[in-house]
Amino acid sequence: MIGILICQIVLSIVLASIFLIRPSVTSATGWKMVAFIGLGVLPALCLVGGMNTHVQRSETTRFCVSCHVMIPYGQSLYVDDPNHIPAQHFQNHRVPADMACYSCHADYTIYGPLNDKMQGLKRIYMQYVSTPPDPATIRLPGGFKNAQCLHCHLGARNFEENPVHAAMMDSLKSNQTSCLSSGCHDTAHDIANLSHAKLWRPIQ
Amino acid sequence: MKLSEIGIRRLLQVSSALVIVGLALEILSLLWFHPLSFVLFAFVAASLIGLGILVYLVSLVFAGVPSVENRN
Repeated sequence: MIGILICQIVLSIVLASIFLIRPSVTSATGWKMVAFIGLGVLPALCLVGGMNTHVQRSETTRFCVSCHVMIPYGQSLYVDDPNHIPAQHFQNHRVPADMACYSCHADYTIYGPLNDKMQGLKRIYMQYVSTPPDPATIRLPGGFKNAQCLHCHLGARNFEENPVHAAMMDSLKSNQTSCLSSGCHDTAHDIANLSHAKLWRPIQ
Repeated sequence: MKLSEIGIRRLLQVSSALVIVGLALEILSLLWFHPLSFVLFAFVAASLIGLGILVYLVSLVFAGVPSVENRN
């Protein structure tokens, strides 16, 4: 996909170079059309393609852990402990392994992905211009919402038939009882104890 | 050669230069796997390409305006 986009960009650069070196060629009608494609249509398509590629790339696990402060969070996905919720989801492919962070942390609302990108830009600003936070102190603004869990689990048989879940379903849906911080599934990214944790090594 | 024609050609050259630099930066941002690559694309490359397209469209507007001699 990136290969096709790069070919398109190179073609656009070649066409634009013609008009940079010899702008007089646009006197001919045929070249006017070429100029319209080379300086208008193709660059616009390259912009759309580039934005699409960058947005898709920003949803990958590899991209998320490419930030220094996120490295321990990436490592915590390999903790060999079934009570460790993110690790259990990642290792058992309950979320796509190549989009593990995005699957649980994306805001599944209409402007959610846009808000997430803005948050990402804010973190880049903090990393390079302001003071980068200590990885262990990073907290989600507003806490982890149940909607992130219910996006997949709601409607799943083993979730809804669980008597504990069934008894508090309304409270879970309204976010009054947190899935993570009410004592049920409270081991998320345990960064503070990561150095003592046993890590899972996938078979190559 | 009319003065306006020279101006349009100059605008075409400026437009081409902006588009070329913007696209070259876009290739760089696509090949560079780093959080800053998105910033490079969104704030630098996209702005240059957008500006290049805008300058080209402005040159089209100038090309579409009939000269004073033609109007008379």
